[in-house]
Amino acid sequence: MGCGVTKSNQFHKQSGKAVTTIKAAVLIQRWYRQYVARTEMRRRYTWHIFQSIEYSGEQAQIKLYNFLGYLMDNFTPSSNERNLISHIFRENEVCRDAEWERYFCYKSIEVPEIYSGPHLTFPLTVEQAVGLVEAFRTKKQLHSRYVLQLLLETWKLLRMLPNINRISTCQSKEITICGDLHGQLEDLLLIFYKNGMPSLEKPYVFNGDFVDRGKDSIEILLVLFSFLLVYPSDVYLNRGNHEDHIVNLRYGFTKEVLTKYKMHGKRILKLLQKIFSWLPLATVIDQKVLVLHGGISDSTDLNLLARVGRHSYVSALRPPKKRHITSAGTSIDSDMDEDIWSTNRRRASLTYPKPLGTRESFQNRSLQDFSDRIRVNVEDELEIDKRRQPIFNRSEKETNPSASSDSVSSDNIKEEWKQILDLLWSDPMSQNGCIPNEVRGGGCYWGPDVTEDFLNRHNLQLIIRSHECKQDGYEFCHNRKVLTLFSASNYYDVGSNRGAYVKLGPDLVPYMIQYQASSMTRELTVRQSVGQTERSALKVLREQLFAHRSDLICAFRKFDSGNTGLLSLHDWASAVESVMHLGLPWRMLRYQLVTRKTSDGMIEYHEWFNELAIKGPNTDHIDQSLLETLYRHRSTLETIFRIVDTDNSGFITIEDFRQTWKLLSVYLKMEITDEAISDLAVTIDSNQDGSIDIDEFMEAFRLTDKKSRLERGRSMFMGTAPDLTKLEGDPNI
Amino acid sequence: MAPKKDPKAAAKKAPEPAPAPAPAPAPAPAPPPKPAGVDLSAVKVEFTPDQIEDYKEAFGLFDRVGDNKVAYNQIADMMRALGQNPTNKEVNKILGNPSADEMVHKRIEFEAFLPMLQFIINSPNKAGFEDYVEGLRVFDKEGNGTVMGAELRIVLSTLGEKMTEAEIDALMAGQEDENGCVNYEAFVKHIMSV
Repeated sequence: MGCGVTKSNQFHKQSGKAVTTIKAAVLIQRWYRQYVARTEMRRRYTWHIFQSIEYSGEQAQIKLYNFLGYLMDNFTPSSNERNLISHIFRENEVCRDAEWERYFCYKSIEVPEIYSGPHLTFPLTVEQAVGLVEAFRTKKQLHSRYVLQLLLETWKLLRMLPNINRISTCQSKEITICGDLHGQLEDLLLIFYKNGMPSLEKPYVFNGDFVDRGKDSIEILLVLFSFLLVYPSDVYLNRGNHEDHIVNLRYGFTKEVLTKYKMHGKRILKLLQKIFSWLPLATVIDQKVLVLHGGISDSTDLNLLARVGRHSYVSALRPPKKRHITSAGTSIDSDMDEDIWSTNRRRASLTYPKPLGTRESFQNRSLQDFSDRIRVNVEDELEIDKRRQPIFNRSEKETNPSASSDSVSSDNIKEEWKQILDLLWSDPMSQNGCIPNEVRGGGCYWGPDVTEDFLNRHNLQLIIRSHECKQDGYEFCHNRKVLTLFSASNYYDVGSNRGAYVKLGPDLVPYMIQYQASSMTRELTVRQSVGQTERSALKVLREQLFAHRSDLICAFRKFDSGNTGLLSLHDWASAVESVMHLGLPWRMLRYQLVTRKTSDGMIEYHEWFNELAIKGPNTDHIDQSLLETLYRHRSTLETIFRIVDTDNSGFITIEDFRQTWKLLSVYLKMEITDEAISDLAVTIDSNQDGSIDIDEFMEAFRLTDKKSRLERGRSMFMGTAPDLTKLEGDPNI
Repeated sequence: MAPKKDPKAAAKKAPEPAPAPAPAPAPAPAPPPKPAGVDLSAVKVEFTPDQIEDYKEAFGLFDRVGDNKVAYNQIADMMRALGQNPTNKEVNKILGNPSADEMVHKRIEFEAFLPMLQFIINSPNKAGFEDYVEGLRVFDKEGNGTVMGAELRIVLSTLGEKMTEAEIDALMAGQEDENGCVNYEAFVKHIMSV
């Protein structure tokens, strides 16, 4: 019948069409999923790049610090070189608390009429705290008088707090926990906006790393401290590894404070040193959830940690000061190293570097070699110390009988020190066990078995920690017994990651909220933001490669025995990894890093460097290897300069500049002639007045041009100062 | 997490059950799911050493645990990241149709992955630019080079290997003009340029 036939025809047509439609849909879906997977791959290796460079920077920092400490122990007190760097180790000149209060006195600081920022009166009220947040949101700056006053009040409060905060979710309160903020005020404002500000009903725990890298570290501190003062039972702060003045020298906080507070910055920093040392180490919620910044090790003992004198550890990177009680009953801080030093008669001088004592490893040339030899873990520190003891003890026992008993308690102190170091610097790993964290240079890597054991021993159920940037702002591991929480979004670059905070109610089930600050990111598609971050990471990577040029060429030559100038991809990748030690997927990255290949797929490595070569202005007259040193170690160099700049003026004398280079030449075991140093000095001492502007010097040797840096805004790899527009500084502040 | 290239990755853990040969690529996925063997019996791995090194690097990038293995539920994405285009169904078949739990927890090492990849590369289902454009042309009602965004969304979320709303949003971001139409040739060109 007609109808039937028509119907079945139509049916066939329709089903035929349906099949095509389905096929088309599947095709699109398959393509799309491939696109997502490839984007994800790019995102992963971009992440790798940033993270491995970040951690190797931290490692370099710690090594530098240890090197300086070692030098300190081996030079006469009178030598100029020692004086140059000694003041960073002389954390507290022998001083009484009352004298400190006089030093930090703000009362003489006048606030001028034209100051338009907030005025604070104490005791602080919640309106003032909220007002402060609003002021910072509108880019105001708090006057140094109020800063000092606020910090003094904070210091007084923190001194009364225990090492481990213990809080509860009673009365159905939900506790909000935030991870690393790293000076990114925008993220803190976003959290307050989404979650509400701290209050009696809204307790908060902030888990360390408030400062460094971002450009508003001091503002974040001031906000956190003011809420702490207003709600001391509802705001809890844990110390992070960046609450440490040594780390701050390198990662931007010191510079930020000195730039924003030209007159009183130094005092503010000094007061902050004390405040950081008084920050509690951890928080326990309902006796079940432990919140701390870094992590644990197989020897972490909360009972021990509850008892330590935490304020002795001004920097987690060095052994603590000893506290003496004088006959008058007042306490005096002195350097433990000072004590040991004063009984030691060994002498050497920087100007005539000789092979130095126990650490033969200084024979090496590059920082990479250096890093292989110097193992910066506590066990070695203890080892080296043990080796040193016999030399010291002999003279100590003769001249100072009490010192021998001190060496017993010094073991205790070393044990305490290790506990704190582990707490602030450790990272979890997926394998069982506990091994030193060589990537960062401090703390350890701990495994799921260590977590299990630790939780059982202390009758806990969850560890919440921060310290590591995570793409989604948080990540569980160790069978969901460890939660990493990171609250600085767009940390590596715009679009690189989200931030997150956690809410914990009486059921102690963590509930995560994610966010991403900056309207810029919301407008970008995933593809665009991955692309942008990727370009940024590759740029940084190219700089790193360029800065290691001579070592790379050396490694390439080893593989290229026939001296053809060509390398296979396999050999190229092996050579690069052997020099850079970044653990990156070099083969995958080759498409972006190497554009020229011969027809049979070989890489011309000399040509490759010409591709990478980046010329700075006016650098032709400078010795090539010196230039490479500058590029490679610029952060270290800048850190040393800032240490040398004892009055924090931003300038150092030509003489100090020379001495600094001598220091660096010993550190790297490199020949740096006086002439080469003069060439450098001439490059920037344009006004010929015998002093060198540190910033200007560092600018002169940047690899990337200024414009791109500013456009990108906050990228930590472009030097230690995140906000690169030089603030003229309000003289009234 | 700790960088994976460190020697500590060698420190190892619980042994896996001895790998049994995986089912040959047969239509009926009858046998219970087992970990893939070193040899997918019917497949001859024909990669050059360079290719194998490339794949190994990608494998390492997806290994988030550090045990030199990758979870079942990552295999499809890995293959896609390496330029292949399998459907989820095809990948499940190769893995022996594992249960949802197995997809999350079972892991496979690199040597076992290679034959799977080879199999996918060998299969005839390749699609290029023209195929995609043809595929989209099905929806071009007026034959004018554009398709309705709305229709595309419905199809993608209801047919084939359904996409989620979020996936579709990401796919279509910035592609629709003010009338809600998508120029599909340009669309395919744009997204194939990844």
